[in-house]
Amino acid sequence: MIGRLQTLPLVVILMGIGGFASFLPGLHAFAMRDYNVGRAFLYAGAVMLFLTVMLAIVTQRQTVRQRQRGPLLALLLTYLILPLWLAIPFLGAAPDATLLQGWFEMVSALTTTGATLWPKATDLPLSAHLWRALVGWGGGAFILIAAAAILAPLNLGGNEVVSGRTIGQGGGLGSVASDPVRRFLLAATVVGPAYVGLTLILWAGLLIAGSSATQGLCVAMSTLATSGITCGQPIAANGAGRWGEGLVYLFLLVALSRRLLPGPAVTDRRAALWHDPELRLAAMILIFVPTALFARHWLGQLGEASADIVQPSMNAIWGVIFSTLSFLTTTGFVSADWPAAQAWSGLSTPGLVFLGLAILGGGVATTTGGVKLLRIYALTRHGQRELERIIHPNSVGGEGLAARRMRHEGAFFAWVFFMLFALSIAGLMLGLSLAGLDFQPALVLTIAALTTTGPLVAIATDAPMILAALTGPAQILSGAGMILGRIEILALIALFSLGEQRR
Amino acid sequence: MKVIICGAGQVGWQIARQLSGEKNDVTIVDVNPDLVRRATESLDVQGVAGFASYPEVLAKAGARDADLIIAATYSDEVNMITCQVAHSVFGVTRKIARLRAQEYLKPAYADLYRENHLPIDVVISPEFEVAEAALQRLAAPATFDTEIFMNGKAQLLGLALSVDCPVLNTPLRQLDGLFPTLRAIVVGVRRDGRLFAPDANDQLYANDNAYIFVHSEDVNRALEIFGKKTKKQERLIIIGGGNVGLAVARALEARSDRVRVKIIEKSRERAEFAADALERTIVLNGDGMDLEILNEAAIDKADVLLAVTDDDKTNILAAVRAKQLGCPMAIALVNDPTLAPLMGPLDIDAYINPRATTVSSILRHIRHGKVRAIYSVGDGEAEMIEAQVLSTSPLSGRLVREVEFPEGVLVGAVMKGDKVVKPTGDLRIDAGDVIALFAMASDVAEVERLLQVSIDFF
Repeated sequence: MIGRLQTLPLVVILMGIGGFASFLPGLHAFAMRDYNVGRAFLYAGAVMLFLTVMLAIVTQRQTVRQRQRGPLLALLLTYLILPLWLAIPFLGAAPDATLLQGWFEMVSALTTTGATLWPKATDLPLSAHLWRALVGWGGGAFILIAAAAILAPLNLGGNEVVSGRTIGQGGGLGSVASDPVRRFLLAATVVGPAYVGLTLILWAGLLIAGSSATQGLCVAMSTLATSGITCGQPIAANGAGRWGEGLVYLFLLVALSRRLLPGPAVTDRRAALWHDPELRLAAMILIFVPTALFARHWLGQLGEASADIVQPSMNAIWGVIFSTLSFLTTTGFVSADWPAAQAWSGLSTPGLVFLGLAILGGGVATTTGGVKLLRIYALTRHGQRELERIIHPNSVGGEGLAARRMRHEGAFFAWVFFMLFALSIAGLMLGLSLAGLDFQPALVLTIAALTTTGPLVAIATDAPMILAALTGPAQILSGAGMILGRIEILALIALFSLGEQRR
Repeated sequence: MKVIICGAGQVGWQIARQLSGEKNDVTIVDVNPDLVRRATESLDVQGVAGFASYPEVLAKAGARDADLIIAATYSDEVNMITCQVAHSVFGVTRKIARLRAQEYLKPAYADLYRENHLPIDVVISPEFEVAEAALQRLAAPATFDTEIFMNGKAQLLGLALSVDCPVLNTPLRQLDGLFPTLRAIVVGVRRDGRLFAPDANDQLYANDNAYIFVHSEDVNRALEIFGKKTKKQERLIIIGGGNVGLAVARALEARSDRVRVKIIEKSRERAEFAADALERTIVLNGDGMDLEILNEAAIDKADVLLAVTDDDKTNILAAVRAKQLGCPMAIALVNDPTLAPLMGPLDIDAYINPRATTVSSILRHIRHGKVRAIYSVGDGEAEMIEAQVLSTSPLSGRLVREVEFPEGVLVGAVMKGDKVVKPTGDLRIDAGDVIALFAMASDVAEVERLLQVSIDFF
């Protein structure tokens, strides 16, 4: 199977998978007796498969074998071509959507961002929501596999922080010598079963907790992919309640470190879990931020005389804890208790904290966006070491070769990435402002796009942003920002610099 | 006793000198024929040139009727194999090996050196012994020499007496009257370079070096009485991050009182290794003689400087420089015993001679049996001997004043059961007691007769 498939370009394989995938919402729509939508999905799926087979015949064994640039190019092409391709069934199911809107929606899903032009459940048929969640889930799987099969061997996607070697030059985790498509398919067989299995377990858990089938599946897929796509409702609202939120919380933890899924991990798998730098940093954040936020709420509450304190406090604590993890992993689920916590404190939204959390991001080589924990860790260790060096300029840092490399070269790459990230925030904000947005919406939308945390737009500002009101250029710009945030700027730079070297 | 010593390096040479001086039949084996020839010329030993672990070479050295083999070549592996060959082929009963690599010395693998595995009776690690000696020095900062006896219940202190010592010009017999509860005995005095065992009418003078045997509970009080202030040492600078410096820093990190240690190491690679092995200790990469580095380590605020590089001159100069920069105390590692007299004029408070510590620890193991510890004082001029009194010994059952000790011998302390008591004339020595004796080198043979333990005991 792998032997036949690996003669095809990666994009064609993914297009075929997209065609098969659209049968699922089609069958779902038939089960819901929504025949028009069902037909749209099934016909689109059939057409897509037919086209894919024709493309496959044409492109078989035509792969341009460029050892280093090829896989990166395939990665970029995937994010450029696939959203339009996947928009075909979506446009059929949502007839009043324009092509641009369909593209935006699919980019948002495929990059696991989850920003949507139709935030309410009733805006779209349920099957179309399922399609969005499914595309997001596939996008999550794709980046998990690509991080192991494409980015890590080229010293990208966080591996540069550990190895300290030049990006895009190979010599990273795994080998660049073998065929990238083959590597991609092999990585898929390693990480795929765990990804699917965890999703099914969470779905089953949510069903037991009382969620409806479709919405439970949507939430389960969006949790593993950290896309944050729901069927227009908070998790708790579809019947699963706080138990559902608790389950989702547990499965969101998977996004904190690549170690928690099988396959090659960037950080050392042999070290104990509690010594993992990413998990330690995440634990610190998950304890410190809720404490600070809750203390802030609590102080706000102090001024008012309230009879019952315990129940609202417990609700507020849970709301804060859940939201912290949800935004740290750039998912964007909002706890049902969050509005309660906000109202209880009588203070306006602390959305800026969520912007900050989203920028930190989850573990490297996971489905999360943002700067990512390992880079933050490298930067803090570097800073700590520099402080020591102010006191003792000639001192030698300890903890072994790997830690030393991370503090020197690793922190350098992390710093480069951080600066590029900051520059791209500035650039995208400039673009969005030119497209007609005000400062605050432009800032929030920029960070939501670059960190792939779509639901930020609904919670970070006082008045939720209506994405549907965005102008065309603004939609295109933010969609491009999502792609940029997903494949990481370093990968793009590596792609173009490798092209330069070739000439 | 027939002894084979493999390796004619510093340690092998010293042990050969010591053992041949004690009328043993010593054979030295070394790959370098020049070294062997020099050894046979200057010491009363036989020599065989060849690779120590070859059975042929060992046979030539007389391993068939040897009682003891000491493997002290530069290579750990050769030392191990030599012991194995001596055991399996020649059936040598006692085997001592010097192993330097820390990997071989981890307590977790101590089982390796068993009779039916790798038959080494005693493993000596010079770096470890030196680190122990350095830690002892640090524990008693005001002394220039110290050693622990009687399971840690008694201590030998070497004190350099200054003009402000309150007990100068007092006959020693009056000390008992002045401080009746002080369990301390002045066992040796070095005056104008000459070491002697004082008698009760002798007095102490300024600039004397006194060796005092003291109950460990009375150490601080004794130091006070002899005019030494004890101050807790909190900031320590170690120059040289080799095995010795690292072992000292590790031991200090393991202690509960927070000693702040800084290591200065010249080689970047070694400095990184040391930094990886340590947690709280700050490792600086630079030359220990560099003023800038010493200032970076805050030498003027440090309490002690410990110079333990592999170069004597660097150690001495670094110690002098530290003293000049305001460090109150400096300890230097000095390999060459002839440099020892320089310590006084250079104002270096104490020195550690790795050769002496290794030799004395090997000797201690050789003279096992009822002799429990031996410490060589000065350049082998005298010995502090701790031994159990056998029922056959002429000491057994007699009062201390009845025993006719030679002139150069003094009783430091007697341990009855697990209680250390100060020796008085009326104290009866019973069989089973442990006695600590200070003996000038010329009287050691007589002491051994008294203890009924000869070196051929085993």
